Amino acid sequence: MARKPIIGWLALAAVLLGFPLVFNGEYYEQLAAFVILSAISASAWNLVGGYAGQVSVGHAVYFGAGAYMPLLFYKLWAASPLLGFPAGIAVSVVIAVVIGVPTFRLSGHYFSMATIAVAELIRIVVSDWDFLGGAIGLMGPATPRGWWDLIWRSSLPYYYIFLAVLGLLLYITHRMERTRLGYYLRAIRANDRAARSLGVPVSRYKLYALMLSAAFTSLAGSLYAAKFGFVDPGSALGILVSVQMVVMAALGGAGRLLGPLLGAVILVPLQTTTNSFFGGQGTGLAFILYGGIIMLLSRYAPGGLIEVWERFQARRDAGTARRSAERNGDARAA
Amino acid sequence: MLLKAANVSKAFGGFFAVSDASLEVGEGEIVGLIGPNGAGKSTFFNCLAGDFKPTSGRVFFDGHDVTEAAAETHARLGIGRTFQLPAIFEELTVLENVMVGAFLRHPREDDARAAARRVLALTGLERISDQPARSLGTPGRKRLGIARVLATEPRLILLDEALAGLTPTEIHQAIELVRAIHRTGITLVIVEHIMEVILTLAERIVVFNQGRVIAHGRPQEIVNDPAVIAAYLGRSHARRADKP
Repeated sequence: MARKPIIGWLALAAVLLGFPLVFNGEYYEQLAAFVILSAISASAWNLVGGYAGQVSVGHAVYFGAGAYMPLLFYKLWAASPLLGFPAGIAVSVVIAVVIGVPTFRLSGHYFSMATIAVAELIRIVVSDWDFLGGAIGLMGPATPRGWWDLIWRSSLPYYYIFLAVLGLLLYITHRMERTRLGYYLRAIRANDRAARSLGVPVSRYKLYALMLSAAFTSLAGSLYAAKFGFVDPGSALGILVSVQMVVMAALGGAGRLLGPLLGAVILVPLQTTTNSFFGGQGTGLAFILYGGIIMLLSRYAPGGLIEVWERFQARRDAGTARRSAERNGDARAA
Repeated sequence: MLLKAANVSKAFGGFFAVSDASLEVGEGEIVGLIGPNGAGKSTFFNCLAGDFKPTSGRVFFDGHDVTEAAAETHARLGIGRTFQLPAIFEELTVLENVMVGAFLRHPREDDARAAARRVLALTGLERISDQPARSLGTPGRKRLGIARVLATEPRLILLDEALAGLTPTEIHQAIELVRAIHRTGITLVIVEHIMEVILTLAERIVVFNQGRVIAHGRPQEIVNDPAVIAAYLGRSHARRADKP
């Protein structure tokens, strides 16, 4: 598969494009749409948390900004939610700079804790801010006035819109891997002091990664608001939103192109199943699930499932090589 | 003078690791920095590389005052450095490690890769260019550290104990590499505590003890200097050396 990457890519695209056609019905379509949406936000997180190794646990801020803006535009001017998308991105990038400049001076766990603190602070402020609907939140248009309201009864159109955005994000990430930015981010993740000694402007490149990451996380938030037509502080700014991005990316493989998508494909159905199994009281269970996954990952597979797979393959290749060498040796001996 | 440090001091709390140290390095020179453990040579070295800001004194490179400049600015101006414990990028391949350095002067990936391959050829690493850096042993790591800084196309390289922990054969090969780098016109400042190495390589030696420069001169002058012998071997040896 590694030798013919184009075939792998076509197969992946075919599976993703064809999935809802094979598994139809609202349950599967909604689930699939949610998998792709989660993959978008986790892949966006991956830019700064994975590639640059700056583990933000406050990305709900950008997701929330993206989710609130379209519905705020509707509330204030009865505008199409679409107009709120670029506004959300702009707000998120500004917040990224304001948060990033001071917090990037911290390293490791201290950086992560600072991002949690800022995100929780913003959630609490928004919960008490009537302009943004306070604890109740904001609603979108109840009935579509036109396609530009992005309201469809079926989940199918959302699925394909989400898929297009995910494709764009993964394409940009893939291109980034082969630019100076991509190399510099991986160098910063590996050893920022050494990177600095080679002329890498570490703080500036971390900020670039965060701005790009915030923009796409915001886009994910806007798409979420468009699909669900409703947003409140818990669903858009809660810490679970941030943790979910971290865990999905880490499960699949942080700093890997397809890691977050793999994580979302595994976690979202798992989460939906447990939620429906335990009814409405299942939200606490997600925390337990995430905690367990984090512990298992950090103990056994800090590189995520993609790395586990690669290790397995490398061992198999080595085994094959050894066996064929032994066979040749036997043939010569005989 | 390419590099000039004037009266540099560095204090940690009340303790002066370096006090009032001066150094001048001309273009094309190899200067050795020696001294017993804890003499302050690494601290002084980090002040030159921009990793530490001196408590007082100034550092000039090619006429620019770089005392307050960040480490990445040093690299851009042409001061490269290696680390005592080679701080290689473990998860990247050997080639990618060197490319990170090459990107400083070559913003496009293809150009950076070509520049990195030239450096790998010079440093004898081309056969293992696609190996992950984490698979290298100590000699390979030291060599990669040097290759990576060479890729930034520096005018001056600060080598921090590039030979420590190597076997005699590896030391010999490393000395050849340092000579090859010097022949390309790069000025070198070498911190080392293996005496015979520094004596064969350096044209001029500066000796540190207890944070101060206690001697400087040609290698032959240094080995016969009573203050240097005292610092390295204790006073009784120095007295014996004093007697004819």
